[in-house]
Amino acid sequence: MSRIKILHMYADMLDLYGDSGNMEVFSYRCKMRGIECEIDKYSIDSPEPDFSTYDLIYIGGGADLEQQHISADLLKCREGIAKAYKDGVFLFLICGGYQLMGKYYRDADGNDIPGLGLFDYYTVAPNSRRKRCIGNIVIRTNITGKAVDVLGFENHGGQTQGVKTPFGEVLYGNGNCSKSQAEGYTEKNVIATYLHGPCLSKNPEITDYMIEYCLTRQNGEKTALKPLDDKLETDCRKVMLQRLLKK
Amino acid sequence: MKRLQILIGKIIVKMLHLMKRNAGNLPGIVLWHISRHKAVSMFKVDCPIIAVTGTNGKTSVTNCIAQLFERSGKKIITNREGNNLDTGICSLLLRHCDMKGKVKADYLILETDESHVPVVYSQLKLDTLIVLDFFRDQLDRNGEMETLIQKINGFCKTFNGNLILNGDDPNTARLGRANPGNKNVKYFHAEPYAYATNTVFEASEGRFCPFCGETLVYDYYQYSHIGKFHCPKCGFGNYEPYMTASGIDLDKPVFTAGGHEYSPKLNSIYNVYNMTAVAAAAKLYNIKQDIVDGVISSYTVKNGRMESFMLGDRKTTLNLAKNPVGANMTLRVMNEMKGEKELLFVLNDNVADGLDVSWIWDINFSIFERVTRVVTSGTRAYDIAVRIKCSGYDQSNIVVRPDLDKAVEELAKTPGRKFVIANYTAVQPTRAALKRYISRNGGKTE
Repeated sequence: MSRIKILHMYADMLDLYGDSGNMEVFSYRCKMRGIECEIDKYSIDSPEPDFSTYDLIYIGGGADLEQQHISADLLKCREGIAKAYKDGVFLFLICGGYQLMGKYYRDADGNDIPGLGLFDYYTVAPNSRRKRCIGNIVIRTNITGKAVDVLGFENHGGQTQGVKTPFGEVLYGNGNCSKSQAEGYTEKNVIATYLHGPCLSKNPEITDYMIEYCLTRQNGEKTALKPLDDKLETDCRKVMLQRLLKK
Repeated sequence: MKRLQILIGKIIVKMLHLMKRNAGNLPGIVLWHISRHKAVSMFKVDCPIIAVTGTNGKTSVTNCIAQLFERSGKKIITNREGNNLDTGICSLLLRHCDMKGKVKADYLILETDESHVPVVYSQLKLDTLIVLDFFRDQLDRNGEMETLIQKINGFCKTFNGNLILNGDDPNTARLGRANPGNKNVKYFHAEPYAYATNTVFEASEGRFCPFCGETLVYDYYQYSHIGKFHCPKCGFGNYEPYMTASGIDLDKPVFTAGGHEYSPKLNSIYNVYNMTAVAAAAKLYNIKQDIVDGVISSYTVKNGRMESFMLGDRKTTLNLAKNPVGANMTLRVMNEMKGEKELLFVLNDNVADGLDVSWIWDINFSIFERVTRVVTSGTRAYDIAVRIKCSGYDQSNIVVRPDLDKAVEELAKTPGRKFVIANYTAVQPTRAALKRYISRNGGKTE
């Protein structure tokens, strides 16, 4: 039986807008295919794990206060996470998790919270806490090899700049900055995005892309997944895409 | 100028009444604009004002406190319909003031939206502020919970009136330190009930001490993050309660507060907390004990909060759930009930619901016991269906009926016990659909 090992970081602190639901969707789609899904949790003061032994590392989003709390701890893990990323471990990062992998996050009071600097982008929060990008969002990504519309809900003050390879093109909503064209950051083993919802609940193709990536990497050859009955998800997407994209 | 503004406001109220419209909010909105957002300051109020705020329980506690004074023979003004924003409160005062803007009453008891507390009470002198709890609710409207707490905390820094706080919610208890000079801070608290747990059961917030960052230690959790907590480092949470509920037995239901036993009609731990807040207010204002008894033992609700219906011969309970805490509570009640049952979940995402529906992922559906079928409805019927499916529930037992009448028909098709959960804007349409079914097919409302 195949087995995917996930490290869910700061699950107890970074969990906004159902972000932990992503893990529920991920393991559900594994389970339905007979793939075992093992999720380890890491939080502040846990002993440092061997990041490279995992198939996927997941970090969700949180409020400013929580982000300050974890930044120092995350920096201690820099080497381990950087090595895992170079080895090809998949990084799935939502909102705060996305921001903290960049160079820095400048909060509304002008304080810099240092990021891991794994990627070149950086994030600046507007001076006013009232200016936030809030609402439903649809982006189009090509990460799976074909165009996929990804649905979610964004709520972030931070404006992320300096992204060279975005996750997708914004069809509805804001994206990396207010009213911007690009959303998130991606590489073949990285999805970093502002999409909550939780993101995977409405985008089974993205979940399957990550599962397939993990298995293919383990097996050293392209591993296809058994299709699932996604009627509810398909109808759910149809209703929302129709509502948001019809002009 | 002030008189003119009040005159205009009063004319609007009159016109709306002539048109048989509800004047709950519109006059206030007009006045808010013509007074440059200072509408509430036009009124002259000499009597004490009691404000009730928090995520859950505002309406119940406001109504009960209003009754305490009414039954004591006082003239009160209160926003019973729950128009709790500054514009709603302005409309209420417009209806009750003279042409000089003077409001005549013995007490004003005002349910006030969390984010509007500073706006309204920087313009009106507040005697007592009661803060019940803070949960994730309509987060996207308010930005972040921390911002919201900061807002109210900012108000409390200069507030010297009575501050009645839920001492079992770290998010509200922290307000007690906002103004160290305020000698009128009072906490209410409840001892553990039968379903209190040692570990946190549902997704929650406020795990860290807001003063020193240390992880808070809980003796017990009643539900979500509500429970007896303290900070081992700085001592936050160590206070002498002003009102304590003990001997809580929800099967009867019965509890003791301030040394007096009460037999409420509603059997939820929520209600115990709400009524403990009411008992604290009663103590503060020296309300006679027999009046307090009468209010607490008779209080019940008919607004989709644990409301009973008979769909033909099928017993049905409807409960409003604005957030995961409310929904988890209903699921627990469902589980504690023996025998098979079916659930209808109605989920809307209108503006007042907060647009975002991700909170349904903080509902713990994996605890489902003997739930034989789920029907989903509302503008986000499919989202809730996907959520329940991914918790491991067999999708062949999920039926999606976005149209409410069709959903109720679907639910009533099979025999047995039924539960209905509806979120904020869904609850009244759901009640209406249940009543339409009953008028067509028989049964009865409570």
